[in-house]
Amino acid sequence: MVRKIKDGLILGTIYLAAFFSVVLLAGIIVYVCVKGIGSVRWSFLTTVSSVLKGTVGIAGNIVNTLYVIILTLVIVIPIGIGSAIWLNEYAGKSRSVRLVEFTTQTLAGIPSVIFGLFGMVFFGTTLGLGYSLLTGALTLTLMVLPLITRNTQEALRAVPDSYRYGAVCMGAAKWYMIRTVLLPSAMPGIVTGVILAVGRIVGESAALLFTAGSGYLLPGSGEGLFHKIMESGGTLAVQLYLSMSKAQYDTAFGIAVVLLCIVVIVNFLTGIFADKLNAALRK
Amino acid sequence: MITKTGNIKIKTERLNLYYGNTHALKDITIKIRANAVTALIGPSGCGKSTFLKTLNRINDLVSSVRIEGGVYLDEKDIYAPGVDVTKLRRKVGMVFQQPNPFPMSIYDNIAYGPRIHGIKDRNSLDEIVESSLRDAGIWEEVESRLEGSALRLSGGQQQRLCIARALAVQPEVLLMDEPTSALDPAASLKTEELMRWLKKKYTVIVVTHNMQQAVRVSDETAFFLNGEMIEAGMTREIFSYPRDRRTRDYIDGRFG
Repeated sequence: MVRKIKDGLILGTIYLAAFFSVVLLAGIIVYVCVKGIGSVRWSFLTTVSSVLKGTVGIAGNIVNTLYVIILTLVIVIPIGIGSAIWLNEYAGKSRSVRLVEFTTQTLAGIPSVIFGLFGMVFFGTTLGLGYSLLTGALTLTLMVLPLITRNTQEALRAVPDSYRYGAVCMGAAKWYMIRTVLLPSAMPGIVTGVILAVGRIVGESAALLFTAGSGYLLPGSGEGLFHKIMESGGTLAVQLYLSMSKAQYDTAFGIAVVLLCIVVIVNFLTGIFADKLNAALRK
Repeated sequence: MITKTGNIKIKTERLNLYYGNTHALKDITIKIRANAVTALIGPSGCGKSTFLKTLNRINDLVSSVRIEGGVYLDEKDIYAPGVDVTKLRRKVGMVFQQPNPFPMSIYDNIAYGPRIHGIKDRNSLDEIVESSLRDAGIWEEVESRLEGSALRLSGGQQQRLCIARALAVQPEVLLMDEPTSALDPAASLKTEELMRWLKKKYTVIVVTHNMQQAVRVSDETAFFLNGEMIEAGMTREIFSYPRDRRTRDYIDGRFG
């Protein structure tokens, strides 16, 4: 009898905890949307802020955010997946492997502002990239690399050895086996890593403020797409931070809504892209 | 030793294998006949699976393994320097204890091997897929759902799919490592029937725990104990008149 009551109590507590976490999350999203949706007008999305013209807009920041997401992912995905494959499939169990694993874990726990400091000095000054989207993307690469590597590694580890043996026993060379069997099987885990990385990229302000800077202009007409990556550009999160510090809360909430939408869209696209990639890998 | 008619497909000479400091196979010398089923029997840990895995060099994947002596496939030493392991494994296919279909469609599972070896043409692949599935006796069951996932098949079907997958690269030898121990009795019987049929085209070597199975499917039997091969010969003779006392004790079920 006592046990039954105890069980009931524990069960109730668990349900309550689950209920709270869902309500909190939903609550934040609803609150942000309600407060911010008023600011999100067409002109807000398509113009840049200008004192002269009297406009408030975040078009430049949206473009910068997309640039930073794409640039960072293009750099970090090959490195992250490559090192995970090396660690899991080629390196064996040597001491150097444990060192690399320890390093990646440590890297994941470093506060982002330290990455910002390092990025500013190393990429910005030493390599002479200045305040630019590229400097920002390189800094974020260091920051999200552990996410990609760890998730890929865990996903590869979860692939049963019987798949490896099955492929090798039919005469598959190692890389062929990795490409056609391991990577497709590990793809859901890899996608999780990429989605987490996107989350950190779009949410980051501290590491970007002093690396990519806070420019908010659109790329000039006539300048190529690549010209932009060498220019300063603040992402939405950076602009959100700046707006808050100037007490422009309407703009801040508007940006928050746009940020949420971008995260949802990018995650959705990542899933689709992964499916396409899987089909191509298996050919 | 094995003296019945028929060509020798595989032979080993004083084969020794070490896992680090463990001496896992001791001086194994055996001749395995082509187009016959050879059963390897013995208690767990006796080395029969390890022996099987030397025949397609899959033990190479374990870094601590060291091998001495010779393994000959059609008189050629498969451990000689310069041997193309990929080609060897194409000739010597393997089926595992747990069915291990890839998480792909039935069609892609079977086409996996041929694709490794450069066959891309859809018509050729179609033909190989059908003939392999027919040879493995599962074509009728899966014909209508070749694009469905292989993981949705039953355990017995998965095992026959894996056999079909191994056959798709047209091997000469088929190694089977306790292929029925994860299957229910009905599926096991089906797989056994298949083994008896497969020997017409292939040389089949099967590791089994199950002595009744060895009697039912094999032409020849080798008995392993503690890394040594105690006795090998015609299955009927081994089971009726074992020469070695240890073989008799094992067959009688005194240990195992």
